[in-house]
Amino acid sequence: MQTFSEQLPIVLHSLNIGFLQTLKLFFVTLIGALPLGLLISLGTGSKITPLRITLKIFIWIIRGTPLMIQLLIIYYFPGLVLKNAIWGGDEAGRFAASAVAFIINYACYFSEIFRGGISSIPIGQDEAGLVLGMSKSQIFFKVKLLQMIKRIVPPMSNEILTLVKDTSLARIIALQEVIWAGQAFMKGSQGISGAIWPLFFTAIYYLICNGLLTLLLGGLEKKLEYFR
Amino acid sequence: MGILNVEHIVKSFDKTEVLKDICFSMEESEVLSIIGSSGSGKTTLLRCLNFLERPDKGIIKVNDNIVFDGNDKSYLKESVIRKNRMHFGMVFQSFNLFPQYTAIENVMLARRLQAEKLPDFKAKKKEILEEIRSEAEFLIAQMGLTERKDNYPHQLSGGQCQRVAIARALAMKPDILCFDEPTSALDPELTGEVLRVIKELAETRMTMIIVTHEMAFARDVADKVIFMDNGYVLESGTSDEVFNHPKEDRTKQFLGRFNNG
Amino acid sequence: MIKKILTMALAMTMCFSLAACGGSDAPATVATSEGQVEDTQASAESDKAKIVEKGELVIGITDFEPMDYKDADGNWIGFDADMAKAFAESLGVTAKFVEIEWDNKALELSSGSIDCVWNGMTLTDEVLSAMDCSNPYCNNAQIVIVPKDKADAYQTVESLADLNFAVEQGSAGKEQAEAHSLKFTEVTNQANALMEVAAGTSDAAIIDSLMAAAMVGEGTSYDNLTYTVGLNEEKYGVGFRKGSDLVGELNAFFKKSYEDGSMVKSAETYKVQAALIPQ
Repeated sequence: MQTFSEQLPIVLHSLNIGFLQTLKLFFVTLIGALPLGLLISLGTGSKITPLRITLKIFIWIIRGTPLMIQLLIIYYFPGLVLKNAIWGGDEAGRFAASAVAFIINYACYFSEIFRGGISSIPIGQDEAGLVLGMSKSQIFFKVKLLQMIKRIVPPMSNEILTLVKDTSLARIIALQEVIWAGQAFMKGSQGISGAIWPLFFTAIYYLICNGLLTLLLGGLEKKLEYFR
Repeated sequence: MGILNVEHIVKSFDKTEVLKDICFSMEESEVLSIIGSSGSGKTTLLRCLNFLERPDKGIIKVNDNIVFDGNDKSYLKESVIRKNRMHFGMVFQSFNLFPQYTAIENVMLARRLQAEKLPDFKAKKKEILEEIRSEAEFLIAQMGLTERKDNYPHQLSGGQCQRVAIARALAMKPDILCFDEPTSALDPELTGEVLRVIKELAETRMTMIIVTHEMAFARDVADKVIFMDNGYVLESGTSDEVFNHPKEDRTKQFLGRFNNG
Repeated sequence: MIKKILTMALAMTMCFSLAACGGSDAPATVATSEGQVEDTQASAESDKAKIVEKGELVIGITDFEPMDYKDADGNWIGFDADMAKAFAESLGVTAKFVEIEWDNKALELSSGSIDCVWNGMTLTDEVLSAMDCSNPYCNNAQIVIVPKDKADAYQTVESLADLNFAVEQGSAGKEQAEAHSLKFTEVTNQANALMEVAAGTSDAAIIDSLMAAAMVGEGTSYDNLTYTVGLNEEKYGVGFRKGSDLVGELNAFFKKSYEDGSMVKSAETYKVQAALIPQ
């Protein structure tokens, strides 16, 4: 039986590796879902009816079903039904499948926030841009985008903090993120078994991460206070 | 002839006809006031000139060139509209300044975006931007806002905002500058500064169309007045004709309300 | 099982919608029946040939001492891990260990993300119906875990009737709880079942005897727990995809390894020789 001080470095090493995976999934999701969400939100405001309706149904399905089921389907569906296990069984494949599921899921949530942000900007901003001879894309990028960002920072902050915690769902397809790493010591791993405290340590990792993000997003909100 | 000819403009929203066969024309350097009660179609007419609304029928000519013909779909093309609406500048009732830009940036933004599309922009970037800035500074000074040029809209009073909006419209060098009730959103004590600026513009022989409820101002500044009622141009003429010798009963009634109140 | 069916149903729905878009005829065959296609597909192609072609045998495991676990350098060792490495070598391929979510083992196999489950897997009816398994190679038992101070009262199967049990979902322990008509709650894994008992949210748990040896009693975090009754005898086996020709290969390999003594030697290394079943 090792003492706590002997176990701690082993556990922390494992948790660090797991948390790196958590962070990787978090950032990849953010980088993928923000632009995709913007595209989807623009699509749902499009004049092309089939595109608009398809996207609305897609958003309804993705937001109306648990992310956990989406993970299972995206990871197992190709091998199970199409007989082509495109993801492969290794860590990289599981990560890729997780990232795809998370990006799609979060893009749909983000798109609704973007849509709310865009539609809350007064029509006068469009009209002012138009009479000054700006194109629709110039109006969007130069006039409305920053105003929209200012409006969506608070709801977006909520989603982003939720995303950090949601990454733990990827363990359903055996992505070895930080909770997986912590739980391994309950079942028994590297000579440590039946230990619950590593799992509580994972909570501290989440707390620190979300604390930093809260500061960062709060800073962004402050930075955008220069206009109203 | 004339800088602007509007012929037989018709516009409906759903089943309601808002503009019914509107015709008028104006000469360069003229100031035209459009008056009439709320819902008479004044604002819609102005928005049709800027193509914020598309007329259903009729023809609009600027300097004898057709910029809109209700019978010709090619005038509805986005690119054509974008080009043709540049004949007109527009000052809104609610200013519609861009909140994330300072006063001077509001004035420069559209010009800068336009310049970036020029083929030789990269080569002459510095001179072009310098020119845009100095023109903007001139306009800001003309509006008496030099000291506030680096303020954001929320740091300015309503009157100052509206003056920035006028400078912003002027920066695009429109042939005709349109005002849509420019003082209606202002506190009464702030209307004076905006009206003074418009009057100064009239003195520089700027061609302007002003939709307004300020009857005294309209009488004072306008060369020509149109009285609109229920989607029709009921009466038009010189300021003196319409204000002092109205022919129609409806006009008399309308003006009477202002004289008594 | 219900979860698996649900997942399949959802996968099928997705398939239909994809088939509608793609217009390819491949998914259409799937629409007939899941079982049929799986069988025909598996027998149509040799699993062995496929594995030799890709050059690796992907082995689905969990961190489970002494069968599959990591040494100080992070390499997978254990009785199962060593035998799997030797088996892969006999096929001329490398062994690749992948940690999986235990509940999804059948899904992992049939979707092709792993090639076999080799992780002290109890040969339950559920396992035998979901995959093709090797001959049993190790004995195990499902045993009852209770707090030490109450152990005296629960030394017989009959005494267990009043207790609320925690069992791992889809596990052999759960099957035993059902077989003995015990009251139970399903939790996500055996470690959680132990935690339930330690926390007092359940009165007792049913887990693998091999696992209990490692996790319960002196020198563990659960030193206030102990095990009492053994509910059954059961056996470990290795699971492959349905219709896989690797089952026969492994049985032959087990026989050869047992006869030349290498299997016994490996079992002794990890102190499981007493549980080993002669091949």
